[in-house]
Amino acid sequence: MSENIWVVAQDAKAAGELCAGAQALGGVVHAVLLGCEEATKAAAANGAQTVVTASTPAANTLLEGYADALLALFEERGARLVMVQASTTGRLLAGKLASGLHTSALGATTLALDGEAVTVTYLVYGGTAVCTRRIISPTAVVTVGGGVFEAANAGADSAAIEQLTVTPNTPGITLKATAPKQGEQVNLSAAKRVIGVGRGFGAEGDLDLARSLATLIGAELACSRPITEGEDWMARERYIGVSGAVLKPDLYVAIGISGQVQHMVGVNQARTIVAINKDKNAPVFKQADVGIVGDLYTILPALTAALR
Amino acid sequence: MRVIACCKAAPEEQDIVVNGDGTLSFERAAWKFGSYDLNAVEAGRQLVEQVGGEVIGLTVGGEALASAKLRKDIISRGLDSLNIVTVAGSAVPDTLQTAQLLAAGLGKVGSYDLVLCGAGSSDEYTQQVGNQLGALLGIPTLNAINSITPNGTTVTVERVLENEVQTLEVTLPAVLSLTSGANTPRIAGMKDILAAGKKETTETTAAALGVDTTTVSAQVSSVVAPKQTARQRTILEGDVAEVTTKLIELIGADLR
Repeated sequence: MSENIWVVAQDAKAAGELCAGAQALGGVVHAVLLGCEEATKAAAANGAQTVVTASTPAANTLLEGYADALLALFEERGARLVMVQASTTGRLLAGKLASGLHTSALGATTLALDGEAVTVTYLVYGGTAVCTRRIISPTAVVTVGGGVFEAANAGADSAAIEQLTVTPNTPGITLKATAPKQGEQVNLSAAKRVIGVGRGFGAEGDLDLARSLATLIGAELACSRPITEGEDWMARERYIGVSGAVLKPDLYVAIGISGQVQHMVGVNQARTIVAINKDKNAPVFKQADVGIVGDLYTILPALTAALR
Repeated sequence: MRVIACCKAAPEEQDIVVNGDGTLSFERAAWKFGSYDLNAVEAGRQLVEQVGGEVIGLTVGGEALASAKLRKDIISRGLDSLNIVTVAGSAVPDTLQTAQLLAAGLGKVGSYDLVLCGAGSSDEYTQQVGNQLGALLGIPTLNAINSITPNGTTVTVERVLENEVQTLEVTLPAVLSLTSGANTPRIAGMKDILAAGKKETTETTAAALGVDTTTVSAQVSSVVAPKQTARQRTILEGDVAEVTTKLIELIGADLR
């Protein structure tokens, strides 16, 4: 028997990925698109049989205001699994839905459905371990991040379109203003090449050594936790680790990074890992394809010059 | 303002040892309150320093919470008192149960204006307890809060989304989960630690609160170290020019 899987997404990329994932799990796929009607095509092309669109709320309300309407929808249509895009909004929605459906909301790095239970895995203890849980409540609510599934875009593109007609409402919460986030936007999970910097850099200005190399080879710059939470040298979006981004680049270069499990778990899926560190006992070398034991202050300029 | 800061103790992850078979050994890992929970305590303290009131800690956990050192540690970070809900045996409540236990614990605390949670716990980091708690309580609930400004019966908050920052007005009481960058938790001084021992700690049990912790919504099948991808582990050492040339020889295609 095929199970009803509902996808909740806010953009076309997530709609495509999550619907493709739901289809891969063998479910009958339905999607709710929050304020992103244009994602209908992506959802349908990835197997959604039903697409429910919810329009962008009025200026002072939040997408989270659809929570009660979604809850009613999932109860009425018999959802076995609800897969929610793992954004800030998606997480809050997932929590609300989970409480309403009398279950726990979990984040998933992998997801399986075996008829009786939804099994999810996610990182625990700061990336030290992977926890596998079988969700035994009648409905499972799971948030799914970017890149967990790949959009196939191979579907029939023939979804039944419905519209959610309720007005979203978040009592006691008024949106006063929305401003673009300060600083540059970065999407590490989409980058093909990533250079990570860590404590081995003595001063903020020294990061330019890594920046030059990054520019030269077309890599995004990323960092370990101390660089953003201890030193504030780089934007939080650039931090790799269990609570930061999880990447799948072709190349990852760890420079001045010791290789704590919490960091390495974020780059474990890189095709090639290069490490540069002056401490030859640094754990990073055990997880690198090529390790250079040496001073980043001499190696980086030499490497950049050699590649130029 | 009466602020409740929710916090959870977990084994220090840096001291968890991975056994040969990938299972974990917690023998050398002391319990500590999660670093993100300290953001909740700090935010509460800062609010109370501005408008007066008290910050009450609320925690759910097992036997580890019996430790006087652990209790003093969290109190010394800025709490006026601590409420503990203990769960019997080795049961680890899931996010729904934790939210239910916190909701029941809040009933014991009495009235409150604001419930604060950290970005996530240091063990499970599901980032959901605050969201689920707020839904159970049926009061305004937000996550990813970066700043809180009190204005009487409401607070103005800044919430960080992926590409934008929202400014919202929230009617109290409310449940807010913070970002890890919302503040820098204070380091407790000797005076704070000594004073912490004298502050009130109230204890109750899940059973006494009438919360069933036997039926979880998601059973743990395994907790094991992540599988490492096999790596070449070629180590280059020595002359800078030589090692860079060798690196380019080995992975040049990836660099150009």
